[in-house]
Amino acid sequence: MRLGFAVKVLGQPNLKSHDSRRWQNNPHLSVSLAYVRDIFLYLERQGITMYRLSSELAPYVAHPGLPQFHNQVDECLQELEAVGQMAQRQGLRLSFHPPSYVNLSSPDETLASRGTRWLTTLARILDAMGAGPEGVVVVHIGGAYGNKRLALERFALRWEKLPELTRRRLALENDDSRFSVADIGWVHKRTGIPLVFDYLHFLNNPDGMELTEALAKCLQSWPEGVRPKIHFSSPRTAMKLVKLSDTASGQVRRKARPPQTTEHADFINPFEFIAFCKMAKNAGLGDFDVMLEAKAKDLALLRLRDDLRKFAPEEFDGI
Amino acid sequence: MEFDEMAPVLVVVMNNLRDFEIARTEGWYRIPVKRAPSRLGAEYLAFYQTKTFGPEKWAINYYAPVKRYRLVRREELLPQEADHPRAREWYYKVEIGPLQKLPHPVPSRRLRRITFIPTTLGKLLKAREINDLWCGGEAEEILWELFRDNGLPAERRYLVMGEEEEKEVDFAFFCRKGKLAVMCDEEPLISGLMRERPAVQDYELAAAGWIPLHIDADAIFREPQRCLEQVCRAIEELGGLM
Repeated sequence: MRLGFAVKVLGQPNLKSHDSRRWQNNPHLSVSLAYVRDIFLYLERQGITMYRLSSELAPYVAHPGLPQFHNQVDECLQELEAVGQMAQRQGLRLSFHPPSYVNLSSPDETLASRGTRWLTTLARILDAMGAGPEGVVVVHIGGAYGNKRLALERFALRWEKLPELTRRRLALENDDSRFSVADIGWVHKRTGIPLVFDYLHFLNNPDGMELTEALAKCLQSWPEGVRPKIHFSSPRTAMKLVKLSDTASGQVRRKARPPQTTEHADFINPFEFIAFCKMAKNAGLGDFDVMLEAKAKDLALLRLRDDLRKFAPEEFDGI
Repeated sequence: MEFDEMAPVLVVVMNNLRDFEIARTEGWYRIPVKRAPSRLGAEYLAFYQTKTFGPEKWAINYYAPVKRYRLVRREELLPQEADHPRAREWYYKVEIGPLQKLPHPVPSRRLRRITFIPTTLGKLLKAREINDLWCGGEAEEILWELFRDNGLPAERRYLVMGEEEEKEVDFAFFCRKGKLAVMCDEEPLISGLMRERPAVQDYELAAAGWIPLHIDADAIFREPQRCLEQVCRAIEELGGLM
C-alpha cells in the first residue's frame, strides 16, 4: 500500500507546489516543474511514493482571455519527460484533483468546455511525464442544479465526448452531499470510468450503502492490472476559531465554533485507519493505495506511518 | 515598492565576466543538472559575484526574475564550445528578465565558498550579509539573531566534508586555537522528518578538526542569553575569535 498526500509540502519551509505568480508576471509551467523536481527530491528523502500534483501547474492554461498561456505543455515536453523519469525511478504514483469549478455536469456549455480544456491539459501533462495508467485525474460530478439525474446524464455525455487521452485518465469520486457512491456507480456502469472511494465523503453521504459494499464497488471499478486508489481523512473534532468581520464597523472578532463532520482533521486517526484497512482486508477487497487528505499534509503522512508501525506493525510491514 | 516577501530566490555563483554578460544581455544562466541544488525552483535568481568582479566581488549585487527553465545540452547553450568535455551533458537553462541592482550589496564576510543558497525575496532585500539569507528553523533563527546582534561572526550552514558527502554545520566560528561548530538540536515537528542537507555528526566533525557544541532548541527558547554565554565561553576556550 502506498500512502500519499496532496500538493502542499509542510515538512520543508517554502517548498512551492507551482508557479503562483499572477499573469502579469508571466508564470510558466517550466517554473512549476522546477518546483515539482524539488518536491520529488523531498519525497525521495522521506520515502513517500504517492503524490498529488497541483492542478495549477500550468498557470492560466485554460484561461480564455490569456491565449499566451495555452501552449505551455508543448513548450515543456522535455522538462515534463525529465520529471516523469524522476517519478518513475522513485516509483511515484502521481495524480491530479482539479478544483470544483472544473465541472462537467454544468448546464453552462462555456463553463463545461473550459473544464474540458483543463482536464485535457492535465491528462496531457501525465502523458508527457510518461505516467502509467495509475496516474489519474480525479474529478467530482459537480453540481446537481436541481436535478441529480440530469446532472449525471450531462456528466456521462460530456465524458463520452472527451478526447480519448482525457477519458483514459479520468477517475470519479463520491462527494459528501450530492453524489454518493451509488450515483457515481451509475456513471461507471454507463462509461466505465474508475471510481475513487472517499472515506470521509462516504461517512457524510452513505446513501443507504454499507461501508464494505461501497468500498468494494469502487475498488472493483478499476481496470485489471491497475491498482485502485482511495481518499482517506478523519473528520475534524477540534473546536475551530473563525474570524467574523462586522461589515458596518469593520471590526474583526474571533469566534470558536464546533467542527462540521465534513471538515478534514489536521492528522489521521490511526485507530480509525487501521480498523478501515482491516475491514477491507477481511472482506478480501485486494490492494489499494491511499491518498491522505489531512490538513497537515506530508506531516500527517509521516505521523500516520509512525503510528502504523507502532500499533499494527504486522499489517503495515514495510509501509 | 510592493513585493512578495516569500517569493523563492535562488542565490547562484557568478564566477566569470562572460557568464555575467550572457545573463545581462542574453538573459539566461546555466546550472548543470548533475550539480543542481535540492532547491532549484525559484521566482528570482540572485548572483553572488566572485573575485573576478573587482569592486563588486564577494557579494550579491544583482538579482533577476525567472521567466522559465529549459533542459538543454551544453553544446546547444554554448555552440562555440562544441568540443568541450561536457558538451553533451544536460543543463538547466534558467531564462531571466533584466538584472536589477539590490538596494545595497550583500557581502560575504569571510569570502567563503558559496554554492547555492535558497532564500526568499524578503530576506534578500533586507540582508546585510550572506549569513542573513538562510532560512532556518525557529530556534536556529533566534540563535542567529543573537549572534548577529552581539557581534559574533558566525558563518551559517558551513559545509564540512562528512564521511561520504558534504554536510552542514549550523554555525561555524573560526577561533585562534580551533574551529567551533555550534549545532542547534531542534527536534523535527514530526519524527522522521529529515533536514534538507544532513547535519554533520560529531565524529565527522572531530575527524575534520572541529570542536562540536550542541545547544538544545528548548534552551534557546527558554534562556537565549545563557546559550549565548555558553557559545562565548567556548570561543574563549579556543583562544578567542581569529
